[in-house]
Amino acid sequence: MSNVDILQAAITPLARLWRRSTSAVVGLKPGSAEQHFRDGMLRMRSGDIDGALAEFDKALSLAPGFADAVLARAELLDGQGRCDAARGEYDRARRLWSEMPAGAPDRRYLFRRRGHFAFEIEAYELVRSNVRNKILPQLAHGNALLVRGRADEALDSYERALRIKPNLPELLALKGEALSALGRHEEAIQAFDTVLAAFPADAETLNGRGVARMALGKLAEANDDWRRQLDLLPQAQSSARACVAMRQGNSEAAFHSFGLSLAKEPANPYWLLYRLTAGRLTGAPPDPIAVPSGGQWPAPLLAFHAGQAAAADALAQADTPCRSAEALFQVGVVALAGNPAAARRHWGEVVERGAPALIEYAAARNELARLGS
Amino acid sequence: MFSVILYGRNDSHGYNLHKRAAISFNALAEVMSDPDDEILFVDYNTPDDHPTFPEAIHDTLTDKAKKVMRILRVRPDQHAHLRPKTHLVALEAQSRNVALRRSNPRNRWVLYTNTDMLLVPRNTEESLSNILGGLVDGFYQVPRFEIPEMLWEAAFDRRDPAGNLAKLRDWAVRFHLNQVVHNYMPMKYDALGDFQAALREDMFAIHGFDEDMILGWHCDSNLAARLALYRGRVDTLIDKVFGYHCDHTRVAAANNKGRATRMNDQDRFIWNVASPYVPAQAETWGWPDVEIEELHLDRDTAYQRFTAGLEKAIKPATAPFTGTSLEWQLFEDLTYDLPHTLPFVCDQVVTFPRSTAVMMVAARVDFVTGFAEAWKGMGFTGPLLIPEECEGLPSDLEGIERAPFAEQLPKADMFIFEFGLPTQTPSEPVRAGRAMAPLDKKRLKVIERLFKRAAASEAETRPTARRVPRRFIGVNVIYNKFWTTFTDHVGANINPFCSQVLAGLPREDESLKGKVLRFRGRHAL
Repeated sequence: MSNVDILQAAITPLARLWRRSTSAVVGLKPGSAEQHFRDGMLRMRSGDIDGALAEFDKALSLAPGFADAVLARAELLDGQGRCDAARGEYDRARRLWSEMPAGAPDRRYLFRRRGHFAFEIEAYELVRSNVRNKILPQLAHGNALLVRGRADEALDSYERALRIKPNLPELLALKGEALSALGRHEEAIQAFDTVLAAFPADAETLNGRGVARMALGKLAEANDDWRRQLDLLPQAQSSARACVAMRQGNSEAAFHSFGLSLAKEPANPYWLLYRLTAGRLTGAPPDPIAVPSGGQWPAPLLAFHAGQAAAADALAQADTPCRSAEALFQVGVVALAGNPAAARRHWGEVVERGAPALIEYAAARNELARLGS
Repeated sequence: MFSVILYGRNDSHGYNLHKRAAISFNALAEVMSDPDDEILFVDYNTPDDHPTFPEAIHDTLTDKAKKVMRILRVRPDQHAHLRPKTHLVALEAQSRNVALRRSNPRNRWVLYTNTDMLLVPRNTEESLSNILGGLVDGFYQVPRFEIPEMLWEAAFDRRDPAGNLAKLRDWAVRFHLNQVVHNYMPMKYDALGDFQAALREDMFAIHGFDEDMILGWHCDSNLAARLALYRGRVDTLIDKVFGYHCDHTRVAAANNKGRATRMNDQDRFIWNVASPYVPAQAETWGWPDVEIEELHLDRDTAYQRFTAGLEKAIKPATAPFTGTSLEWQLFEDLTYDLPHTLPFVCDQVVTFPRSTAVMMVAARVDFVTGFAEAWKGMGFTGPLLIPEECEGLPSDLEGIERAPFAEQLPKADMFIFEFGLPTQTPSEPVRAGRAMAPLDKKRLKVIERLFKRAAASEAETRPTARRVPRRFIGVNVIYNKFWTTFTDHVGANINPFCSQVLAGLPREDESLKGKVLRFRGRHAL
């Protein structure tokens, strides 16, 4: 063997190891904002401040609302003594995060939070490659990925954690969520069954199993899970209770609980929207509707309820698959009294195209069942 | 807006604790501007006969610090069930949860820090209340910067928090203090427990600190791990606040034994955390059903109670001084000056819970009436239990209960045994060679017998819910014939004669002598 061959033989296994350790994060598109953010973090850790700032700038030119990059850049500037330039940026990052949509409050904790979680994905990748054979780094990494919609990578993280502590219910529950997000509902239900056998009063897992069961069209079983979840939720958690009731198609309970939620968080437009929805489905007299200014989602749906916008406008402004499902559901709700067939059609589209974890998905399935579809 | 949660006890945890803590309490109060803000100090397991830690240093605190501070006193008896499981005398998770449960529900934020921290808003115009009030929901930490011991000890004025914060702003630059020590996620920074700001409702949702962590260390990392899972992120407040720690490693604290330090299992409580929640303690964290005493430094203080009690019981002295003597020939003379002695007796009891039931076995009527007045005046609500065996004592005073000794024994939380002369009159001289009258001898014999029985059988006659030994106070038991009687059975310190009072817990003497004494005491031999 030549010297080069010897060197290559020594390096190849290391290079393989390196590729393996990085493969889990290459769900990123080259040249994407996330990729620039990641490169910026790597440069920052290596002490290349200017290089890191350049990468963060590139990330922000592609995605100006990328709060993780805004904050990372602010910390770098601050540390360089450019405090004035940094000061407003910290607050901007926080504001950007707070403006991101939060998940439904009846779902497992990780789905309720706002954020890009790009920093967390990167940070926990570093931790899990250094703190080996421990659960938390894998789990936290998986959670960040799952919330970002990278369920296959999240599943990989959870399975790595499960190799350390097989059958740990908390991990199985998360694996169930990842499987559910991947559409592998039967497997998800199996995982949730195991968790619930150990902890029958685990309200978050009941919610997850309900979602998976509903996705498979098992309405009665799904509703039974959510009924049990509702029984377990304290009265003080009115918004979580309201969302569960809405999934179940229990509009009366939802109407009442969304009223409480609205009193606690009057600025949350979804509570008003859902209270209007539940009110319409129960035939309650309509609440006054204050459509938020600025037109941010879901303001178009409130405008539609208030009669200030047509169904087509509401549908046209739905710029993501989730929002489309939300809009279709609301169009069906408003149509129901005068045109049940149209309602049925719109709700059918929700079931066909919407994500099973959406409140609207479950509510639509329950309303369709009530209409005899 | 926010509740600061701190804990500690009246001991000497690390170097120059009193100065560090005063600096910190005052600095924390200084950055508060919302009327709902509060400093919750959990005084954990300070001995019952000591004041709480903040009471002990109250004179070094600013009026503002005294106003915003609520002291929650966890008694040794409330800690006793955990004592066999830990080498520590103060437990962080339990303390912080007791405070969280009882924090002001109007406050959105809870801030966990320690009694050696100063928080310096970067914008001098902003208070911490303003900063937290403007924040979006989240879990926030700041890096901890160290202050060399020399600087805080030599240059800080405890009662000048604004000046201390100004000095820190200056030193940070001159002495390069501001070094951020990054750490793995979810910790984010080193020494993270010195600033963890969480939403109060989040802390309730995750069931507070994990109360299985009773060996010390890593409570902060466990909290970070669980809140990081729950919130998804750990945010920084480095743009708004700098946190400075009064370094105190000249002398190692009790929980720091270098590499031999016992601590909570890092794997279990950090790296293998799998859930934000601690469902096993969902209903019990923070001891919601336990009555925790609350004390304040700006009202109803121990001093105010002490003086209120004594003002009811004794009149001011009319002479510049009085006299007594400890000369040996007076060993048999049991006269003593009651107005002088009563303050020292009250001093022994004023820090106990107000509901304490005291058994009082006494000879002098004026002692009983005087103490009963003072007891009521100090705000105690517990009864004074006087055994029927003690003849000649009043039965009709408010708060006094008379019953057979054996019946009262399991009801008492504390004992006072007074060895005076029933025949002593207020006008007669003290320790002038007075002999005992037959009545004195008769009554003192009863008191001695009851004392020995109470001390010898203390453990087996303890109230069922009580887990720690009861305290015995001896009045007029120094340098007289009852000195050895009292100290044979009670582990009392050597006190100055002038105080007339000894106190302590029953001796646990396993020697032959101790066993014989206990046997004789139980059977009144």
